[in-house]
Amino acid sequence: MNAATETDRALVDRVAKGDRAAVRLLFMRHHARIYRFVARQMGSEMMADDIANEVFLELWKKAPSFEGRSEVSTWLLGIARFKGLSMLRKKKEDWIDDDDAAQVPDGADTPEVVTMKEDKAAALRRMIDALPEEHRAVIDLAYYHGQSVTEIGEVLDIPVATVKTRMFYARKKLGEALKAAGYDRGWP
Amino acid sequence: MSAAEKMSRRDEMETLLPFYLNGSLEGAELEAVEEWLATDPAAMNALGEAEAEFSGTAAANEAIRPPADALSRFARALDAEAGPAPAPAGQSWLAKVFGRVTAMPAGIAWAAAAALLALVIVQSFEQPGGKGNDFEVAGAQDDLAKLPFALVKFKPDAKMADIAAFLGQNGLKIAGGPTADGVFRLTIPASSAADYDKLVGLIAAQPFADTVIQGRKPVDGG
Repeated sequence: MNAATETDRALVDRVAKGDRAAVRLLFMRHHARIYRFVARQMGSEMMADDIANEVFLELWKKAPSFEGRSEVSTWLLGIARFKGLSMLRKKKEDWIDDDDAAQVPDGADTPEVVTMKEDKAAALRRMIDALPEEHRAVIDLAYYHGQSVTEIGEVLDIPVATVKTRMFYARKKLGEALKAAGYDRGWP
Repeated sequence: MSAAEKMSRRDEMETLLPFYLNGSLEGAELEAVEEWLATDPAAMNALGEAEAEFSGTAAANEAIRPPADALSRFARALDAEAGPAPAPAGQSWLAKVFGRVTAMPAGIAWAAAAALLALVIVQSFEQPGGKGNDFEVAGAQDDLAKLPFALVKFKPDAKMADIAAFLGQNGLKIAGGPTADGVFRLTIPASSAADYDKLVGLIAAQPFADTVIQGRKPVDGG
């Protein structure tokens, strides 16, 4: 089988047997998405770099115990989420250095004022970025990572009903923010 | 009653739309959304709004660029975790020479690699399909004149070990090069144009790839 078409699960089986080429291939397939997921979860690309590396080292160590009950991508996202939360708990807010702080919106302009300067697509992207982390995570996991309700529940370790509730409020907030900016989409 | 239970039908449909769009919805929920889209005049507008969110989320994520050297740093971390990779049994003369080249500093290694590849391409006609440590050099039996290929230039700071591993994993072979500009010719193991595009896209996405130019492509149905 060509490596480009070998399934993720088959590659994890190879990793479980100590095949380093297989773990490198999985890294190439999934690293960018894991990195982006953690960067948005943590608000820090520097921390995302460390955590994403740890996720794939964990894959190397845990591959023999992977039972294939979820997709490999869901499994990796779950590891990334757990490692991110652990690091956040450990470091609390100490990690916000000057570079990171520069990326945090300073609130100098109200959302309405900022939105007047940009088109709807740019406004929507900014509003997605400004969602609370628990809401932005479900938006990212559904729209960018293609995860189902059940898979998001596994990644975030929350019940399916909670996934739906968070998605409802995330989209409701986006609708309200757009309406406040003059883009009424008819819901909520 | 929970918040979820209090949802109106419209609220419920709006909640499910992201999952309808990403293709993960199934069963009764999929049927409910499709029925809503077919019968409610407001539904298509709602779908358009969800598509805009889909695009916005993708753009926000794609704006984050992982470091170009992530793979090589991970490979080093993996070696630190698991120990140096064992040399394969019956290692060929090419693997041994290539291993020495990869241990050199990058600048020297590239110059040595150019000389080595020139030697290998000649030698491969005596040892068709000579197999390297992680990749193969195209041999005489490969009929280079007919094989799909692409022209690739690697970044000056690219690690040869990463490139060799990538070539080996994807069945890619070096058929020629480097030119004076540092361009290599790689054979692409693709039997269809779609496979070719996929592999060339994969090469272009690698952190060590500087420039990828499409060469001969398989002709579908030919």
